[in-house]
Formats: sequence, C-alpha cells, structure tokens
Amino acid sequence: MARLANLETEYPVLDSTVRNFCASHGIFSAAFAEQNNSSERLKEGIAQVLSIIDDMHQPWLNGMELLEDAKRNKHVFPTGIQGIDLLLGGGIRVGQLTELVGPSSSGKTQVCLRTASNVARNHMVLYLDTGNSFSPQRIAYFLGKTINPSSAQAKNQFLQKVMSNISCHSVFDIFAMFDVLHQLESYLRCQDGRGGCQMRLLIVDSISSLISPLLGSSSTQGRALMTSTGYLLKKLAHQHNLAVLIINHTVGGEGGYSKPALGDSWKCIPHSRLFLSCDRGSNNYNVSILRHPSMASGKAARFVI
Amino acid sequence: MEIWRLPISASQRGKLISAGYTSLSSLSSISSSDLARGELNVSESEAMNILKVASHSRGSETSNASCSIVEGAQSAWDMLHDEESLMHITTSSADLDNILGGGIHCKEVTEIGWSSLSLIVNSVLKYKLTTAFGSESIIFMLIGGVPGIGKTQLGIQIAVNVQIPNDFGGLGGKAIYIDTEGSFMVERAFQIAEACIEDMSEYNRFLRKDFQECKIKMQPQDILENIFYFRICSYTEQIALINYLDKFLSEHKDVKVIVVDSVTFHFRQDFDDMALRTRVLSGMALKLMNLAKRFSLAVVLLNQVTTKHTEASFQLALALGDSWSHTCTNRIVLYWNGNERYAYIDKSPSLRSASAAYSVTARGIRNSSSSCKRIKMM
Repeated sequence: MARLANLETEYPVLDSTVRNFCASHGIFSAAFAEQNNSSERLKEGIAQVLSIIDDMHQPWLNGMELLEDAKRNKHVFPTGIQGIDLLLGGGIRVGQLTELVGPSSSGKTQVCLRTASNVARNHMVLYLDTGNSFSPQRIAYFLGKTINPSSAQAKNQFLQKVMSNISCHSVFDIFAMFDVLHQLESYLRCQDGRGGCQMRLLIVDSISSLISPLLGSSSTQGRALMTSTGYLLKKLAHQHNLAVLIINHTVGGEGGYSKPALGDSWKCIPHSRLFLSCDRGSNNYNVSILRHPSMASGKAARFVI
Repeated sequence: MEIWRLPISASQRGKLISAGYTSLSSLSSISSSDLARGELNVSESEAMNILKVASHSRGSETSNASCSIVEGAQSAWDMLHDEESLMHITTSSADLDNILGGGIHCKEVTEIGWSSLSLIVNSVLKYKLTTAFGSESIIFMLIGGVPGIGKTQLGIQIAVNVQIPNDFGGLGGKAIYIDTEGSFMVERAFQIAEACIEDMSEYNRFLRKDFQECKIKMQPQDILENIFYFRICSYTEQIALINYLDKFLSEHKDVKVIVVDSVTFHFRQDFDDMALRTRVLSGMALKLMNLAKRFSLAVVLLNQVTTKHTEASFQLALALGDSWSHTCTNRIVLYWNGNERYAYIDKSPSLRSASAAYSVTARGIRNSSSSCKRIKMM
C-alpha cells in the first residue's frame, strides 16, 4: 500500500488538505478509510482513496471458476511410494501445503527425496535444505531403480536430465528463507507466462528448525513470523500452482507421547498433515493422516523405503 | 516485498507500519534524515540501518538471473558430481569406515553416541586409506553413547586423522577441538599421533618400495600443533565460541573438522528454562550447519545418553531430547554388545543402518580383534 503523499502525483485530488485531515485521524496510507467528512473536496478525496483500496484486493471468484481452476491446474502428484499414494488417494495435491511430522529418523527426508525424484521427471523441483540432508546419491538411486538400464550412457543421460530439474538451496535462518521465497515468487511470475518445464514442487526440510529458535520467548514476534511463513507458502501454492511439502518434527507432550512441534498456532496452517513413524530396526514405516481436506483422518498405512 | 520480512527489531517494525510504511517501495525514495525526523521516533543511526537493510533486500530482487531460480541454488546433478570428488576422514577402523561409506564426510554434522569403538591395529592393511573414495561431503555427525565407551578417544582419533597428508589419501587439514568436559588428554593425543605416523610409514614401506622419496617428515609435535584446542566452562562461552568460529575459520581456511566433546554437557544441569534451552540449541545447530556448509568441513558432536522412562520400562536415549536429535544430519550410537564395542548408524540421509565393531587400543581406535577373517587387501 502506498503512502498518501506518494499517491499525490497520480491523484491530484489528494492534496495537502486531504492528507492533513487523514493525518489528524491517523490515516497515513490508503489502507484505512474514513466515513466522516464535512466538505466536498474532502468527500472527493475520501472517495478516491476508497476506490484505490477497491482496486488493490484480489478479484472475487465464483464456484464455477474455482472448479475450472481446480480441474485444469490443481493436479495430484504421486510420491512414488505405494503405501502413501494409496492412503492419500493419489498423492500430494498442487495448491496445498502438506506437512510430514514424525520423530527423528522416521523417514521424513526419505519420503521427500523420493517425491522429488518422482516429480522431477516432468517438472522442476526446489528443495530448501536446513540440515545438509539433501543427498544426490539417494535421488540417483531412486531414479536408477525405476528405469531399465539399456546402456550406461542412456542411463547417465536420463539421470542428468531429471536431476538437472532439481535445485537445492541451503537456508539457515528464516530471513534467508524469506529472501529465497521472494526470488522464487518473481521467477514463478515470469514462468506463468511461458511454457516448457515448470516448477511444480517446493520442499522445505525442515521448517521447524528455522522456526524453533524464534518461538517461546516473551515477544510474539516468533509466532507472527511463523504464521506469516505459513500464509506465504499457501499463497505461493495457490497462485502459482505449486505443491508444497514441509517437514516438522515432534516434541514430548504430556503423558510421554510425542506431539508435533511448533504448537497449536501452527496446527491449522497446513492443509494436510501426515504422521510418520518407524518400526525400530526394520525397514517398515507407518504413516497416518492427522488432517486432510478430503480423506478421513486416522487412516493409516504401511510402506517400505 | 513487505516490511515484516525484513530482519529488523519488532519495535522498529511496529513504528514503520504505524507510520504507513508497509512495503519496500515506500522506503525507496526517502532519506534517513527524513525518516528520523518524520513521524517515527527513531534515531538517525537506526534510520540508516533500516534503509540499509531495505536496499539490500531490494537489491536481491532485481538480481534474479535467469540461469538459476534462486541465487546460490545448485542442481542435484551438479551436487552429485561434486560429492563424488570429496574426501573422507578415516576413523582408522576399516569396518567403521565401511559402514560410513568411507569415513566421516565433511559438510555434514555427525553425532556419535559412543557405545563402543574397537579398532584393531594388528595389520597395516586394516589401516584403511581413503584413496578409493574421495568426496569432501560435509558431515554433521552426532555421536552418542554411555560413559566409558570411547567417545573422547574417537574424537581425538578424528582430530589426528584429518591431518593425514594428501599423498596418503587423507585431507591434510587442521582440526578444532572444543572441550566442555575437560577430558582431552594431551599425552593420549601424542600417543595416538605417534601411532598414526608409525602406521603411515609402515604403509609407505609396504606399498611403495621406493621409500627413500616418501619418507615421513611429520613428527607427532606437528600433529599436535595443528589441533586448535578450546576449553569452555559454561554454556554462554559455548555460544560465544560458536559465534566466534565464523571469524576464526575465515582466517584459518585449512581447518577441516570441528570436534565438540560433549555438546550437551553445559545444557543439562542448571537450566531451568526449557524453552530457552530449545531455542539456544536450535540456534547453535543452525550456526554449525552454516559453518559446515560454507567452509566445507566436517562437524562431529559427541553426546551423552540419558534414561528415558516410558511405559514402566527404561530406555537409553541421547540427551537433549527429540528436537536436538532432529537437527543433526547423521547419528551414530555407540554401545556395548557383550564384551565388544559396536557403532550403529541410527540416522543418515544416504547410508543404510549398519553396525560395526571396533576397539580402543593403546594406538587409538582400531578394528575389533575378533573379526580377523575380514582382512582386506589394499
């Protein structure tokens, strides 16, 4: 929102009288509106401010347009892991924020790597890594399992083509992540215009490492940053047709059971939440739905990596 | 970009928003003196700071090159090739190196829970040199284990092994040893360094017949000189040191490993505020990750174990809880199995779970003596 002083060049009616009036009522930017006024000129000025505000918000959509958008753009990406795909009715959905929660070493990063290798066959993937746990060898291994190696050279070419679609960036604090997301936004805006291989998956491993250092102190800044991050990710997902996958860890709750980190404020932000756990000493993993827009919560499945 | 994304303090942000500056473009055309004089109640220096941060963020907007999506991102294909050319730090136990895929990688953080390291040095052939593997992958490793299992021994062994020269397949780098418990014994480090040099010369004689050229010029004193030792006595010192390491590492670029002996020691007693402890620990882990990635080094953290009481049974778990376990890239648990010491990989993004036996001898960490039949030819 621009300041009223800056808007004066475009809308000459917003001269100093109007601005002083607004200032006396605590209005410095076009974000506020005031109904009480006593002169024609002021009325004009206020009307102009209100129309500027109207131009700025998103256009209204009706149900049919939303359905069209969902059918055309919001596809489902299979993760490549059979148990999870069956559980989710296809996979993770574009335009939604999916969260993987689980105790340490329960397979969260492996699921992300598997999904990234699957989606990278046709689309681009951005992997934001906070713990140096992105492993190109694992991606190569997953891709190698799925193709028949006709020749070493063909396999190499395939690997190169798919793995060049995955970009990995390390972020170690939340403001660095905001910078990255901002650059991503401008990239996506140019991308929407042209065709070709488009970015469809964003993975953040793990968002809880970035946010935990901010929560818990007496100021509320940490929680504000946390909710802002959530909204930013959801906005990117919806407007630019991305599927967003984030990783959270668990902390000890009352009674000794573990609950997801980041607290109750974060609970309603992701669209779907999956709880992963591992049977000790074997390769079997369990996944259960904590929250999902279209599947019943509480359903569980097993899978093997 | 909006104001709330800038790294400025909450009160400054509140003042900016209530004065009407909600986006970066509104800050673009104003000077710092106007900002300080205007409706805000900020000093001139604060105003300059705010404008500096804003222009830096605006600069990153415009420099969006078309070749990479975001600055600094690498494609997975490039990373795969980088990793194939990285070096490992050997642990001096062939079995342990095997399960670690060659040794301790750089760029990751490894936590080792000492439970048992038994390395045998009954044959030079077991002294696995890392010429077959070469990748300076970054390792952040957390090693945890019961007391007496040999955590400090492994830490000292790694600090010595990182200095093996490049000719022998080592990294030829220096080490930083951060001691919180006071368990670093210089005499023991000297003993291990001597044994390491003896092994190197024996390997030299075994493999290269022309030993006149490749005489070992290293002395144990040189090895000890290349270990930078810090002794810290409280958690504030620990935090201050991690912050200082940034500057230290830019001056000493050849440091290749940081060993923290008992990262948890100062955080276990006398810490009343649990929330503060979680915040401080996660912040510290992120800084260490950042150092590991930027300077391409290995970070090895040694941790203690604690007893967890669940459902009327006692279980050993690494100290500091779930949040800390989540932050490290790799985790190795050391444990006793009968009379032998074993190391088990608990968490790793690319290695499978496996365990290996090792032993602690007078010469340091070596392979376990019971598995003699697995002698490897170099």
